Parts: sequence; structure tokens; C-alpha cells
Amino acid sequence: MKPTSRLGVFILVAPAALIYGFAVLLPFFGTIGLSFLRWDGYASPTWAGFGNYTRALSDVIFRSTFAHVGIYIVATLIVEVLLGLLLAGFVSSLRRSAFYRVALFIPVMLPMVVIAVLWQAIYNSDYGILNAILGSIGLGQWQHIWLGETRTALLSICLVSGWVFSGFYMAIFSAALNRLPNDVIESARLDGSGELKLFTKIKVPMIRQVTSIAILICITGGLQGFDLFYVLTNGGPYHTTEVPTTFMVKTVFRDGEFGYGSALAVIVSIVGLLTAYLFNTWQKRTRIEVEY
Amino acid sequence: MSALIRRLVHLCVGIYALMSLLPLFWMFYSSFKTNAQIAQDPLTLPTHIDFTVFREAWAVGGLGQYAINSGIVTGTTTLIVLLTSAMAGFAISRLRFRGSKAIILMFTLGLLLPIQSYFIMQNQEFEWLNLKDTRWALIIPYAAMGIPLAIWLIKTYVDSLPKELFEAARIDGSTDLQTFRFLMLPIIRPALVTVGIFTALGAWNEFLLALLYIQDESLKTIPTGLLSFSSKYATDYRMLFAALTMVTVPMIALYVAFNKQIVAGLTQGAVKG
Repeated sequence: MKPTSRLGVFILVAPAALIYGFAVLLPFFGTIGLSFLRWDGYASPTWAGFGNYTRALSDVIFRSTFAHVGIYIVATLIVEVLLGLLLAGFVSSLRRSAFYRVALFIPVMLPMVVIAVLWQAIYNSDYGILNAILGSIGLGQWQHIWLGETRTALLSICLVSGWVFSGFYMAIFSAALNRLPNDVIESARLDGSGELKLFTKIKVPMIRQVTSIAILICITGGLQGFDLFYVLTNGGPYHTTEVPTTFMVKTVFRDGEFGYGSALAVIVSIVGLLTAYLFNTWQKRTRIEVEY
Repeated sequence: MSALIRRLVHLCVGIYALMSLLPLFWMFYSSFKTNAQIAQDPLTLPTHIDFTVFREAWAVGGLGQYAINSGIVTGTTTLIVLLTSAMAGFAISRLRFRGSKAIILMFTLGLLLPIQSYFIMQNQEFEWLNLKDTRWALIIPYAAMGIPLAIWLIKTYVDSLPKELFEAARIDGSTDLQTFRFLMLPIIRPALVTVGIFTALGAWNEFLLALLYIQDESLKTIPTGLLSFSSKYATDYRMLFAALTMVTVPMIALYVAFNKQIVAGLTQGAVKG
């Protein structure tokens, strides 16, 4: 339809555009601009060209953040997406499943900081429940200072993430499984396929599209991870759990390096967008069309 | 599926569910124990139930103030997102005007941009405009971050409505603003519920910007407030557990009451975004 008046269109679109433009779009371009400057936030900035970028590429700690976030993403693909898919498969095969659906989703809606503080207590070596349980079932030698040892810190964070989001992915997969047409499932049953085969050979391939969206959310969300890392370890011990965002926040807000931090921000954003783009094109090329 | 296997599945999933609820149980019952009991014997159940610790955490620990701040920030953010996104979503979906393509493109960009790509300069903007340590320093960015997805969901919803509906309103002499107010708003309620749920939860739980923009204790929201609470009462385990319980239990109650809408809202928000 043609609008009744131009003023009407303006009144409808302007508020959203202004808020979004002011707080997202403008600072987005500003961050790109800032990444080419050297600036401490107060004195007048000086031109740095690609200096911040070359510095970032040779920054050992910054480079290591991608390794850590890579491990985190792989681990969360297992303990969030894969576990969520299995749980959805189990739960959707049960008739009375309401309790599981409700219970396993609870952590998803709690603030990450609250979860992180709770798990700090769970992992605590004085009064934490994890070491207490291990001690009481005779596995005392498995006790660790979970968040303080370089070997266990990152994996401990991944576990918390799995505790939160396996229920989230379960909900996504359950919804997809419930949408599957009954006649396909029933005819497969009549052909004599068992539940396991039905799940792996028919149901999972049919919800392929949802699976790839879930994987994409897990990857892009992982790259942006901050809350859990900041509260649980803030990058420590010895930078072994440092991820791009915790490092960026330290660079800008502790060291006052605005230009360098912005260059890190641009690099991380490009990596994220590129990953999403590559994943999508790869998905399109390998997609087996399943009609339902 | 045979009854035996079904029972086995029930057992496995059941054990898993109980294990995942254990941290929450532990948090809940530990707030009734003394610090000495918690330290000596983390696993045992409390010997008696005493609610005074909750009153203490609420008043002395400042949890009440954090909750009020979170409520104001979340409420205002959600209202702004719902209203502005419904207006823009309607215009983009139904009205053909010059520049509409560019505006759609601009908002679509917002679906892709991660928060890292703009928060450094956003912080500077707020610094220059003296917005830091005010509630607007949270409300404005939360609204701005919620708007692209909200517009997208509302636009898709309005696209699916029959166009005759809007043409009929036009023939009856309704202006666009009237159509929006009296026809659009009432019929897009399902989309608004979805948008409202994930916007409100996102604002309630947001941490990074709250950490950077609010230093003033009296303006902190629950995530940052709880963090300063936990460092202030680092050795007062009982208080810490009480605070955690008070933050989580109302949310869990709310969730159990509206679990269908909340699960649908959060998963749709994520999947379609």
C-alpha cells in the first residue's frame, strides 16, 4: 500500500531507527574508525593505520583466546547441542514428559551471573558440593581446585555452559520432533524399524535444518561468551580461560587502550560473521533436501 | 517401544534431571544452614528452618534495591521495544515508501552484529553525553539491541496477515496511524508476547553493559548487584545462598507458571534470529 502521508511513515519508523542508529549503528562504525587510532580515552588520538591490527596478530594472548574459545565451542557442541538432541529424542519418546521439559529448561532463563556465582560455590574447594560428593563416594583423588588449576578451569566452565543450555537445545529439538508428520513415523514403524533406527535414520535427518541452526547459534554464541568467563575465572589461571571478550574488556577498560581494543573488536566480529557465512554456504551445498 | 525400554529411558532421563536440579536444591537448602555447617558438611540438610536470613539479604545486602532497578530497566526497555518495533514493523511490512529497502537492510545488519562490534564506542558515546551511571545507559542499549529482532519477528507476522484486512481499513478512510493503533496492535498480540518475553528476559539478565556502565551501587541491576553482593559476603556463605535463592526462586515460579510461552518465546527468538 502507498502510505496515507509521509509524516505518518516518519512517525512510525523514526523512533526505532533513531534508538537503534544511536546505540548500535553509530558506535559500530565508530568502533571501526577507532580501530585505526591510538587513543587512551583522554588525550587527542593519533593515527595508527593498521598498527593495531598487526599488533593484534602478533599478540600471543589474543591469539590464544581463539584456541580457548575454539575448545569451548567444540565442548559446548557436545554438552549442549548433542546432549540436547539426545535428551529430546528420549523425552519425545515418553508419554509423560512434562516434568523433564519444564525442569531441564529452568537454568536457561536465570541470569548467567547468578548461575556463575552458584557454580563458583559448587566448585569451591572449601565448601563446594562437587568435591564433597567426590570425597563421600570415595573418589577423593579426583578432587580439584576446579577453577584454579590450568588443567580443569576451561572444562569446568564448559560444564556449566552445558548445564544451562542442554535444556535449551532440548526444547528446540523437541519442538522440531513434535512437528514431524505422524504418517512418516507410523509407516516406518510398520516397516519394522526399531526406535533407535527410527531416531537416527529418519527423525534426525528430517530435522536437519533445525540442527544446523542450533549448531550455528552455539558457535556464534560461544564466540561472544563473556558472563561465565568473567565471573568464574576472568581469564585466569595464567590466561588459560581468556576468551576474546574478556581480553577485550581488559584491554579497553583496565589498560585504557581504546584503539587497540577496537581493532580486537573488529577482528573478533569479522571472525564471527565469516564463520557464520562459511557455515551457511557449506550447509547449503551439502544439504540433502528432505520434503515434509 | 517395549515397556522395559521405556522404563529404562524414564530412569536415565529422570536421574539426569535430578542431577541437573541438584545445584538448585543445594543452593536452596544451604541458605537455612549456619556458615559452620556449610563449611564442615556441605552436603547435609539443614537442621531447622529460619527465614530471617532472607530478610537480612533483602534489606541489609541491598537485594531489594537491585530488584527495583532491574524492574524499572526491564519494564521501560520492554515497553520501548514493543511500541517502536510494532510501529516500524508495520510500516516496513505494509507500506511502500522511498527508502524502505534501505531501512530493512539497516535493521537486518543489526541481527548480525555481535555486541563486541560496537560496545567500545557506545561506551564513549555515553561517556560524552554523561549518560553513564544513569538508568538510560542500560535502557537505551537494551532497547537498541532488542529492536532488530523484534522488528524482524513482527514484520514476518504482519506479512502473513491477509492484505485485504489493511485495504479494507484504508477504504473505510483510516489513516496509517489509525490502522496501526486500532487494527494492527490488537491482532499482532501473539507476536508481541514472543517479543516481550525475550526482550524482558534479555534485559533482566544482561551483564556486560551493566558492568561497564553502572558503578553506582544504588543503580545496579540484579546481575551486577549480585556480583558485588557476592564479593561483599564472600565468606558469609549463608547470606550468599539466601541471595541466590531469592533471585532464582521468583524466576523459577514465573517460569513454571508460564513455561509454554516462555520456552516458545525464547526458542523462537533464538531460532528465527
